[in-house]
Amino acid sequence: MARYGMLIDTTKCIECFSCRVACQMQNGLPPEESFIKFYGQEEGTYPHVSYYTVPVQCQHCENPPCVANCPTGASYQTEEGVVLVNEEKCISCKYCMVSCPYQARVVSEKTGVVEKCRFCIEEVRQGKEPICVTTCVGNARIFGDLDDPNSEIVRAIAKKKAKPLRPDLGTKPKIFYVR
Amino acid sequence: MVWGSIIAWYLFLAGVSAGAYCTAVWVGWKFPQAVTIQRTGYYLAPPLLAAGLLLLVIDAEAGLFHPWRFLYLFTNVPGSMMTDGTYIISIFMLITLYQAYLTFQGKKAPGWMTGVGLLFAFGTAAYTGLLLGVVKAVPLWNTSILPVLFTVSALSTGIAMTVLLATLTDQNACSQLISLKKIHFGLMILEGLLIFIMVYITSSANETAFQSVMSLLTGEWSLWFWIGLIVVGLLIPLLLEGLELFHSRSLQVTPAGVEATASGTGSSPFALTIATEGFVLIGGYLLRFLLLAAGTFVTLF
Repeated sequence: MARYGMLIDTTKCIECFSCRVACQMQNGLPPEESFIKFYGQEEGTYPHVSYYTVPVQCQHCENPPCVANCPTGASYQTEEGVVLVNEEKCISCKYCMVSCPYQARVVSEKTGVVEKCRFCIEEVRQGKEPICVTTCVGNARIFGDLDDPNSEIVRAIAKKKAKPLRPDLGTKPKIFYVR
Repeated sequence: MVWGSIIAWYLFLAGVSAGAYCTAVWVGWKFPQAVTIQRTGYYLAPPLLAAGLLLLVIDAEAGLFHPWRFLYLFTNVPGSMMTDGTYIISIFMLITLYQAYLTFQGKKAPGWMTGVGLLFAFGTAAYTGLLLGVVKAVPLWNTSILPVLFTVSALSTGIAMTVLLATLTDQNACSQLISLKKIHFGLMILEGLLIFIMVYITSSANETAFQSVMSLLTGEWSLWFWIGLIVVGLLIPLLLEGLELFHSRSLQVTPAGVEATASGTGSSPFALTIATEGFVLIGGYLLRFLLLAAGTFVTLF
């Protein structure tokens, strides 16, 4: 079984928000709801300063606190290690939202169900890639199988020394960032 | 704020319900003749908890429109802290309902049931703190002091609500319960101490926790914290109740209890009681609201 992950190279990200718009289209979200947030980061001291942006979405943790804390079993993990929400079971108690250190979850205004990035799992199972990956103009995103040592993503993580956000929190996120 | 004032009200009401039940049980053991306050406590527990649960249901809109989904709360075992809490609160709800019914019938519940009830009352009070305490993503909440603090506050607000309503129905219902007031006084001292300890320890946990604490002490929420929670919710009730206890020492004790109402000269015991207990309740709500409001997520960078 595959174990899906993603690499996001912030040095290639131009902050165009294409991934967010594509994701909203893919998931039928209204303009005010999105599964990707952007954190602008400033570094250095004047006059030697730089700016980069970090897109953050569900990190599909291997040890997800949202799944552990979901009281109804609506949040669950697939065999591919993707975290999903069964909307038939969600009561929108929002316990998963306060449990997620990445604040990756949003309440759907329409249904009240809590939603988030699904790694476009339906498309991935058909052999495609997540829409945020295919739409990225700078090719800043790589998607693939973390268990396959020859996959592009595993090699890129090693080569670019990509690291997850806040690995110290112990959730074992599967999105790796180049910063 | 993912969890806002609706959830703060729920945490508050569940705590008051548990505290009111404990008050009724304890007064029943210690002062069997003080019937009004026992009845008040037993009558208060179920509707307060039910009101809290109703607020939860309203806040959980996906469940509100698909009520059968709430059944998954019982099937997801072993589950999250919230699943465990659902069981604790459901059992406590049933016990309080039954004991309110028995009270209405003028009967007493068997001792074992009261014992189990007490256990689940403490379970309910502690659970409201555990629910937040296990959330690692919000450093302000992620402390083992929280269940203890919420339990102490639940007992304190439970006594306050019971005394308040018992006094409204019968002006002298609580005038003889000096030891209840002593316990209440002690609980408020303990609560102040626990808030101090929590703030002190949590602020040293990490940067986010420090910022959260500072938003309470000096920042965005500082007025509510100092004036609302500390002064109105703790210091004024401590002062008023302290005065009452101080004056009660000079009263004559008779076999029937204390002869006169234990109040300072020239002040109406009735108004004093209403003010004291009302302030305690305001503080109890503010404690929960402020913790929800000041709880910020860990930083990602």
